[in-house]
Amino acid sequence: MIATITRLDVEDFLFREAALLDEWRLDEWLTLFEPGATYEVPTTDRPNADPHSSQYYVWDDHELLTARVRRLKSKHAHAENPHSRTRRLITNVRMGESAGAEIPAYAAFLIYKIRDGNVDQFVGRYEHTLVASGEGLRFRKRRAVLELEVLRPGGRLSFIL
Amino acid sequence: MAQTTTVEPRVPVTDRRSPYVIEDWVARTFRVNREVFRSEEIFAREQRQIWDRQWLYLGHESELPKPGDYKQRSLAGRPLIFLRDSRNKVRAYLNSCPHRGTVLCRETEGNAKTFQCFYHAWTFANTGELVGIPDPDAYPPERGFAAEMGLREVPRSENYRGFMFVSFAANGPSLREHLADARDYLDMMVDHSEQGLQVIPGTHMYAIRGNWKLAVENAMDGYHFSPTHVTFVEYLKTTGYVTSDEGGRAITLENGHSVLVFSGHGGRVGMQWEPRFGAEQRTLVEENVRRLAARVGEERAKRIAGTSRILYLFPNLLLFDIEGLAARQLEPVRPDFTDIRAWELAPATETPEERELRIRILGSFIGPGGLATPDDVEAYECVQRGVVATAGDPRSHVDWSDISRGMAREAEGQPARNVDEAGIRGFWRHWDDEIAGARA
Repeated sequence: MIATITRLDVEDFLFREAALLDEWRLDEWLTLFEPGATYEVPTTDRPNADPHSSQYYVWDDHELLTARVRRLKSKHAHAENPHSRTRRLITNVRMGESAGAEIPAYAAFLIYKIRDGNVDQFVGRYEHTLVASGEGLRFRKRRAVLELEVLRPGGRLSFIL
Repeated sequence: MAQTTTVEPRVPVTDRRSPYVIEDWVARTFRVNREVFRSEEIFAREQRQIWDRQWLYLGHESELPKPGDYKQRSLAGRPLIFLRDSRNKVRAYLNSCPHRGTVLCRETEGNAKTFQCFYHAWTFANTGELVGIPDPDAYPPERGFAAEMGLREVPRSENYRGFMFVSFAANGPSLREHLADARDYLDMMVDHSEQGLQVIPGTHMYAIRGNWKLAVENAMDGYHFSPTHVTFVEYLKTTGYVTSDEGGRAITLENGHSVLVFSGHGGRVGMQWEPRFGAEQRTLVEENVRRLAARVGEERAKRIAGTSRILYLFPNLLLFDIEGLAARQLEPVRPDFTDIRAWELAPATETPEERELRIRILGSFIGPGGLATPDDVEAYECVQRGVVATAGDPRSHVDWSDISRGMAREAEGQPARNVDEAGIRGFWRHWDDEIAGARA
């Protein structure tokens, strides 16, 4: 199965994911994670640090990720109610060397987040670990690394990066 | 009316009527003029009368573990080099070449014995001395000239139990005098550990589109917790923890500092167990608290371990002894824009398992990617946008924010609850003294 996965499959997966997020279809988005999967965003000053011993912006295990989605769907998630408009440009997609069932996937992202008269840009790279399942690719680790020096001028990662 | 025990608020006996703050104990109202969030002129006055005079939190000594370690950090808009010199002294220099003012250190952080200005290649030791000038014969005999052209240190710096503060004023109270009765609460944080605290690597650096004082108001405001953080409260409920606002206090301290004390907002890693931490942590926490009691005594251990706190040290530091330990530094940029830097602190000697849990638990709540802080940021930013609506309103009462909650209870001699606005009132009184009042 894994031998047949191509860069195009990875692109399709990432593009489809981007569409789900831009349309705020978060329940469907959550199904793209295998049980036990993580979502992580390191801080801008320690992009390569180990989350076990460093503070991160986001370091969700599957349970906290599920709680994050539940929160974002609530009308009481004030930071995202009303929702931001987002548009994700995903490009420079590459596949790494597979190790066992794991497929490293890399891409560059530029996310526009529009709300309250502000257009904020979040630029960075994805360093995901994917696995092939019966239903297609799934995240084992979804990792977004910002190139920004500081979260500025838009200072919140209340949406999914 | 004033209470005598240490945990009760100082209820002022006098009213206040300044251009910015009106406190009326007959009507039991407290109002703040919203110009304080918008005005360039007030912002400039804050720079002169607060930021250029007060002790400002710079950083924690553990951020610079080795001699030669340095970080760029701006404070009150001034670029600084925060470093540990080769003689192991933690200090702060203005990041500006004494020669012509060029930013001297351009790396964000690193380790260096010397700093060389790229513009004309003057070289300075990390202990401050000018150690190299190309073509020195062009200057007066180098010794005397070089001696007055060393790195410019901040006028004053002092370290309190690892927390490094600087002042841009040549004279003024010592750091200990400034901290005054807030020291006890700072000690309660540091005393979590026999070995003191260390900063965990990884800095939350983010901007808010709001005035710096909105971040202070928000932190000294237990009233907002339930409505603003309802999704976080619901998340905790799914993990088996039910939050409570009961029994919390707001305490106004000296010199503009204040503290909120909570008893039911969640556990704290290493100190107060909650179900999210997992069963095996329960005995570890009990053991920690036993050791703490042996070190500081039963009663103090109960205070340290049994309650959560948010401590505000005027003007730029918020210390969160909730969930875990965190420090948040406020850096005003414009009246409507503030940079935030936030670090997580931890006992230097905790186990890797405890450290990992601490990072997970605090990260779930706090910071730009947490489940709670973004809603606070939404609050600051919505106030900043909202107060534009009332600017210059012809009706005398419209352009004022109301901070009266709890005054009626206080006037009857009851203690200030953290779900009231007493903590915010304490901040505004001190701010008003500095900006409009007798101290100005």
